[in-house]
Amino acid sequence: MNATPPSPPPAAPEALRPVAHLELKAAALLLFTLALIVGSVMYLLYARGAFEPTQTLVLVADDSEGVVVGMDMTFSGFPIGRVRRIELADEGNARIVVDVARKDAHWLRVSSVFTLVRGMVGGTAIRAYSGLPNDDPLPDGAVRPVLRGDATSEIPQLMASARELLGNLNALTAQDAALASSLAQVRTLTERLNAPGGALQVLMGNAQDAGKVLAALDRTNALLTRIDGLAAKTDTQLYGPGGLMPQVQASVAQLGGLLADTRATLKKVDAVLAEAQAVGANVREGTADLGALRAEVESNLRKIDQLVGDIQRKWPFARDTEIKLP
Amino acid sequence: MLHRLAPPALHARLWMALQRRVLAWGRMVYLGAVVLVLTLSPSTYAHPARRSLMQRIYLETAPILPGFTVLAALLSLVLTRIVVVTALSYGLTAYALEMVIRVLVLELIPLTAALFVALRCTIPSGAALAQLRHAGHLDALRRAGADPVRAELLPRVAAGVFACITLAALSCVVALVMAYLGVYGFNLAGLPSYTRMFGQVFSPAVTLVFGLKTLLSSLAVAVIPLASALYDEGEALSQQSELGGLARMFAVLLLIEVASLVGNYY
Repeated sequence: MNATPPSPPPAAPEALRPVAHLELKAAALLLFTLALIVGSVMYLLYARGAFEPTQTLVLVADDSEGVVVGMDMTFSGFPIGRVRRIELADEGNARIVVDVARKDAHWLRVSSVFTLVRGMVGGTAIRAYSGLPNDDPLPDGAVRPVLRGDATSEIPQLMASARELLGNLNALTAQDAALASSLAQVRTLTERLNAPGGALQVLMGNAQDAGKVLAALDRTNALLTRIDGLAAKTDTQLYGPGGLMPQVQASVAQLGGLLADTRATLKKVDAVLAEAQAVGANVREGTADLGALRAEVESNLRKIDQLVGDIQRKWPFARDTEIKLP
Repeated sequence: MLHRLAPPALHARLWMALQRRVLAWGRMVYLGAVVLVLTLSPSTYAHPARRSLMQRIYLETAPILPGFTVLAALLSLVLTRIVVVTALSYGLTAYALEMVIRVLVLELIPLTAALFVALRCTIPSGAALAQLRHAGHLDALRRAGADPVRAELLPRVAAGVFACITLAALSCVVALVMAYLGVYGFNLAGLPSYTRMFGQVFSPAVTLVFGLKTLLSSLAVAVIPLASALYDEGEALSQQSELGGLARMFAVLLLIEVASLVGNYY
């Protein structure tokens, strides 16, 4: 009979080793874990800005691609705000609601500019620029447009241009392209240039014409020789003793004397003219006196006329001109 | 007689295997639910049981805490250094710290803590529980009118969950400190930007996923090895059952990790 007798509940065979001050240690462990968790949560809340007073800024963009909730808005590379919400406005624009920490809000001014930049590597960045630091500060709840600068948006255009360029290059360097035939002709030209009398043949087109040019050059040389002789003779006739130039020099000297005489004569004429001017001035004065004299004579005549009138009226023999009726 | 000794047909074997699997998973879920209910019931924390619970919690957490802290610190320091140096060579230093925090704190450290607790606490506890069951201790308890789940299983599960959460929390803090020291050294100049970046990584959704992942991993690590130790049957070999329990635990951990990755990055 192997039946086990009913045992009172038994302590576990693998008995735990006793721990001194168990309750205290267990409580300390619990508190430690609790402190870890609570501390982590508080640090997380602090890191997410839960204890930081903020003001709201609404950025309006035509496209919010790349913007995520929680991303930073930077000013001079320093984060001063974070995106709280992205929503679609009634006009179809994207409204990016940014919480800006109050302690950093003074960097933002009414004239601040906001950009949304997408780099080739890494995420999108929202940046703020304040050109006029003395402007009014940005008010709470301000709505501002955001300018987009997208490095990757240029790529399709760039690729299209590059493709066009490569196509043109291919067309240029093709076997039957104009460039290849031009190069072949350049080679032919170079070979002809390297041949004796090549440059002239290239210019004139054939050997006969090149020969004509050479003959013309020879004749020109002969002509130049004759012109040289002619020039020597002319030189003798012009500048030699008894030539033309010494005579011209003598004539010029005589002309100088003539000019001196003329200058003296002109001086005399000037003196005569000065006298004539003085005479003229006297005549003008005399004319003015004549005017005054005439006025005086006129007034005397008027007085005499008046006197004669008076005498005639007072004279007893005055003719009676009146007709008296009976 | 010969007919009885012949091996069963393929479909019968498959059916039996399927039954065994469904039964094992069902028991595991059931036991998890029972443990949760018992954890939430105040009678669990009555005086005699409380002492056993506290003793178990203390003995399964405190001894492994320093060792794991040192291990986590070393791991964090080495990984931080590798990531920062690699990022430096690619000119991506700005993203190195965020990557370190994501990889270490969010993904690696909680998983490492769960596996460490499984290896050091819950799997040995499961083995001990299986020994107790084989020795007839659990039956003796039942006969004495006590509940073996409440008396033997619950303290072990609670200790496993507590150890897992404590280790995860502590190692995350240690990893954060080590990552900071690895990048900035012993000065406080980088603390504001580090804090800001930490806040950016731990968005509400990521924090929720992280908390759920840690909690579910700790539950999986604590419940599954003990459930498989409590319920293995006579026809299955004990060793097979333990291995099956381990496989189930790793599968559940993998599922939790995948789900957290999906939650974080999709």
